[in-house]
Amino acid sequence: MPRPTPNFVTFEIDGRDVTAPEGSMLVDGAKYGDVEIPVFCYEPKLGQPVGACRMCLVEIEGIPKLQTACSTPVRDGMVVITGSQRVKQAQNAIVEFLLVNHPLDCPVCDKGGECPLQDIAYGWGAGRSRFIEPKRHFEKPLELSPLIAIDRERCILCFRCVRFSQEISEDYQLTFLERADSTYVGTHHGHPYVAPFSGNIVDLCPVGALTSSAYRFRARPWDIENAGSICTICPSQCNVTFSVRDDMKVLRVFARDNAEVDDGWLCDRGRYGFQAIHSPERITRPKVKEGGTLREVSWDSALAAAAEGLRKAGAGTAALAGGETSNEEGFLLQRLMREGLGSPHVDSRASGPIEREHARALARPELAAMVSDIDHAGAVVVVDSELQDESPILDLRVRKAIRRLGVKVIVVGGRPGALDPPADAIVRTIPGGAEAALGGLAAALGEVEPADGAPADRRAPRDSSQTPVGGLDERQHGEPARQGESVEGGIDDLSRRAGTSAESVRNAAAILRAAGPVVVLWGERLSHGARGGAGVNALLALARALGIPETEGAGLIEVPAGTNARGLREVGCLPGLGPGLADAPSAGRAATEMASALGDELSALILLGADPLRTHPDRAAWTRALDAAGFVVAFSDFPTEALTEHADVILPLESYAEREGTITHPDGRLQRLRQAIGHPGDVRPVWSVLAELSARLGVPGAEGFLTSPMVSRALFDAVPFYAGLTLEEIGGKGKRWQERSAAAAAPAAPELPAPGDLDAPPEPLEPENGDLRLGTARSLWSGRETEHSPILRFLAPGQRVELSAEDGVRLGVASGDEVTVARNGSSVRGVAALRDGLPPASVYLYEGTAEGNATELLNGEATTVRVHKAAAE
Amino acid sequence: MSDTPSNKSSNPAEASATRLADDVIAVQRAPSPTRSSSAYRAFGATLKGLRTTLARTLEKPTTIQYPEEKTPVYPRFRGRHKLHRFEDSGLEKCVGCSLCAAACPAECIRVVAAENTPEHQVSAGERYAAVYEINLSRCIFCGYCEVACPFDAITMGNDYELSDYTRSDLIFTKEMLLADPIERTPLRREGE
Ligand code: SF4
Ligand code: SF4
Ligand code: SF4
Ligand code: SF4
Ligand code: FES
Repeated sequence: MPRPTPNFVTFEIDGRDVTAPEGSMLVDGAKYGDVEIPVFCYEPKLGQPVGACRMCLVEIEGIPKLQTACSTPVRDGMVVITGSQRVKQAQNAIVEFLLVNHPLDCPVCDKGGECPLQDIAYGWGAGRSRFIEPKRHFEKPLELSPLIAIDRERCILCFRCVRFSQEISEDYQLTFLERADSTYVGTHHGHPYVAPFSGNIVDLCPVGALTSSAYRFRARPWDIENAGSICTICPSQCNVTFSVRDDMKVLRVFARDNAEVDDGWLCDRGRYGFQAIHSPERITRPKVKEGGTLREVSWDSALAAAAEGLRKAGAGTAALAGGETSNEEGFLLQRLMREGLGSPHVDSRASGPIEREHARALARPELAAMVSDIDHAGAVVVVDSELQDESPILDLRVRKAIRRLGVKVIVVGGRPGALDPPADAIVRTIPGGAEAALGGLAAALGEVEPADGAPADRRAPRDSSQTPVGGLDERQHGEPARQGESVEGGIDDLSRRAGTSAESVRNAAAILRAAGPVVVLWGERLSHGARGGAGVNALLALARALGIPETEGAGLIEVPAGTNARGLREVGCLPGLGPGLADAPSAGRAATEMASALGDELSALILLGADPLRTHPDRAAWTRALDAAGFVVAFSDFPTEALTEHADVILPLESYAEREGTITHPDGRLQRLRQAIGHPGDVRPVWSVLAELSARLGVPGAEGFLTSPMVSRALFDAVPFYAGLTLEEIGGKGKRWQERSAAAAAPAAPELPAPGDLDAPPEPLEPENGDLRLGTARSLWSGRETEHSPILRFLAPGQRVELSAEDGVRLGVASGDEVTVARNGSSVRGVAALRDGLPPASVYLYEGTAEGNATELLNGEATTVRVHKAAAE
Repeated sequence: MSDTPSNKSSNPAEASATRLADDVIAVQRAPSPTRSSSAYRAFGATLKGLRTTLARTLEKPTTIQYPEEKTPVYPRFRGRHKLHRFEDSGLEKCVGCSLCAAACPAECIRVVAAENTPEHQVSAGERYAAVYEINLSRCIFCGYCEVACPFDAITMGNDYELSDYTRSDLIFTKEMLLADPIERTPLRREGE
């Protein structure tokens, strides 16, 4: 579906001629003429208006009754009156009516001061009520969930929260119960409303009925200042506003609408995870290990110790940049490594190297889609990623595309996910089967005739008159040279290797062939481990088969493991690539190789917000590596196992509310982080610490970095395709570098592979003796925000061992049983969960949990594990 | 400007005729002194003044022996604030709504609210003021806070003895504001 271009129509409102986009509702159209119409229930983010509150009544010439402006689209020549006596009377009556049962306890209400009901009652109400009868009463306040308090007396039954739950997050938990004036908002059987996006209803509620438990009574609007920045907790990089009190304390986080990034929603982790910033456990002073114990020291001695240790190690130093590292910090880190220490060993990826050609190909502007392309795509393919956990806001975006814009969705991957129910086709693979599945899809798209076996009703229309303009058929008729048949073994073989049926692959291909531009959301997991390169190849082959480079509005969007993965690659935090993805002077070791080389060729390690024991595969190897490392400098915000046992120098890390700099969204949008609060304790900006450390180690020009914008400037100069960018240009809404003329300087990449160029994916692992193939997933709730925010702690996940029901029966394991999962002497414990739809002989575990982390069992290869019921302790 | 009431000219036409330009103010001068008026001014007025002086020397002194003695104030005198409790339940009247802080033109009130729990019920509503501070070195004693309060929890008291040795001692906390002042300022009686 192409992006609509709005037509403009002219209508008259209160005697003025106003031009507004056709099809917009009167409430929005009126704004073009600076006329404000009061609303309660209307919220365009929620989709179609419902007209529940009647606050927006206006008079339209030619229509005898007053009309709701929120659900009446503007028409050419319409004459609207919003100021007549009749309209005033109606508005007064509605306000009076809404207040009949409203407690008006504004002084104790958390919404007071920013309450639309207060504002509208003041601006459009009669100023007095004639009602003296008793009001309705509910028990109050109640917990709707541990995160949200509900006061049902204040609810004006506007439907917003219910619509959010039913139509946006589609968790279907909230609903109206009872009838008439007994109606109230609740959940079935009074279960707590716990869902990944529940906090949005607090922003939506136009009265103080739904309030955030974290913010409740903490401040009034005049006690706080709001500061805009970016949430760096996950790769969605939502635009947020921090409410700050006394310059030092973040009290709440709420959405700062950016239709190109987040559509105005936030997940609960982003909304409530700010509490970790003020955790008493946070590291706020530098520490140095002396005689086996860590002691707090001054910055000067900490930096001196760090500089000395690193100078000694010199080229034997390795560095890991964590996912939340900003572009500026990454840039300074790689200069510190390459120019100060002469070491090429710097990596921002946790799970193995990425080939230079691949990194460049994935950065190509013609392969990039932007987030809003999802809305206007013909189809979306989600590969090997559970969006709800890994980039939650994209999950909402895809749901919106399906529900409101008719976009087709295809899910490729092993683990059943939240997008399965609305998906049009599912290609269910075994763990690690995505590579073969993508190769199969690419090959199937190349087939001229859909092979037999594809269900007829799902088959693409062959009739060229039905082919969308710029769609796939035309182009593929032009290049029939490489066809599915030319692939070794063909689609059937590839599907077998993926552990899926050729039918599901062909079915998906048929949908894609019939759809317009395709956006592929691919999980970084595809590029991990030994088969990572082949996975990226298969992805690029699919991009070619879909005609992505030539199609407007089609593209790839990565769902990376680290928030700023794209930015860190582009500024040079990869072992073989310097700033701008140019070849680095010498190739270094990737993270996985550092682990084995530490203590041998490598003797020192810099951890910039990275915790290899938590996020990197093969925990045992990393434990060994940290033991063997002679010198470890760690920037960190919380004391972790890796730090307390292994770090020689600990430098406190800023929180995201304290940071200044830029980060890059997976779709190439550079966004600005702006400092919202002062640094607690002795915390200093990371860029300045890195600059000072660089100066001590003799990086030329490092003393010259006096402010963060100076570093940004140097960084924009160093990356050819960012050239000329300024912080002003990035501004509050970000700027995609692909849209600037400097994008022409993006490094060239070789031609995309065709299905025939791919090497055959490995045979699927045949588990022996009842072992299971191991797959991993991430939980939205694992991570330090959850663990260190008191309000979120109840969500911190334990290990969950997901099995198919048959395997459960075979192994004698039921849901809820404690089990151990073992491989080669390492084992983790977890709670079994039998799930429908999991591929047989497979098991899925969480990565990154505090206990029983699956990284213990990973080593970059496809593996099998043994699951058995844990012996009772 | 020549239209201000201080211009005694009764004839508007004349006033506008004497108006030279907008930025020039016409000054009305007294008639130039005559001989008799000069003599009156030199002696008559002086003697009149002396009469007042001599009359006062016979009166009792009006000096108030502060601090042993204090000037009584009118009941609506705006002195140091007081926070109130309900007399029956002893609960604080303040719910920490921050409206006083919003009203205060000197921005000297700081309120941090918190939630009441059944075990820890501080005020009558859902919320109470965990922190309530007034910086009396900044307060201009305008009384807006008293007007803004929906629960009559804060009122202006009568105490005016507010000097101290350090500025920070002038930040009055909730406990100080809730406590009765040790020495009360006398109120002016009816007709006084
Ligand atoms: S919802 Fe608004 S109007 Fe109602 S009590 Fe709260 S602040 Fe007052
Ligand atoms: S709780 Fe709030 S959002 Fe939900 S219906 Fe009531 S007033 Fe509307
Ligand atoms: S979705 Fe991600 S970026 Fe957005 S608020 Fe949640 S954690 Fe933050
Ligand atoms: S009297 Fe006036 S200046 Fe003083 S605290 Fe009250 S509102 Fe503020
Ligand atoms: S805003 Fe139009 S009916 Fe509610």
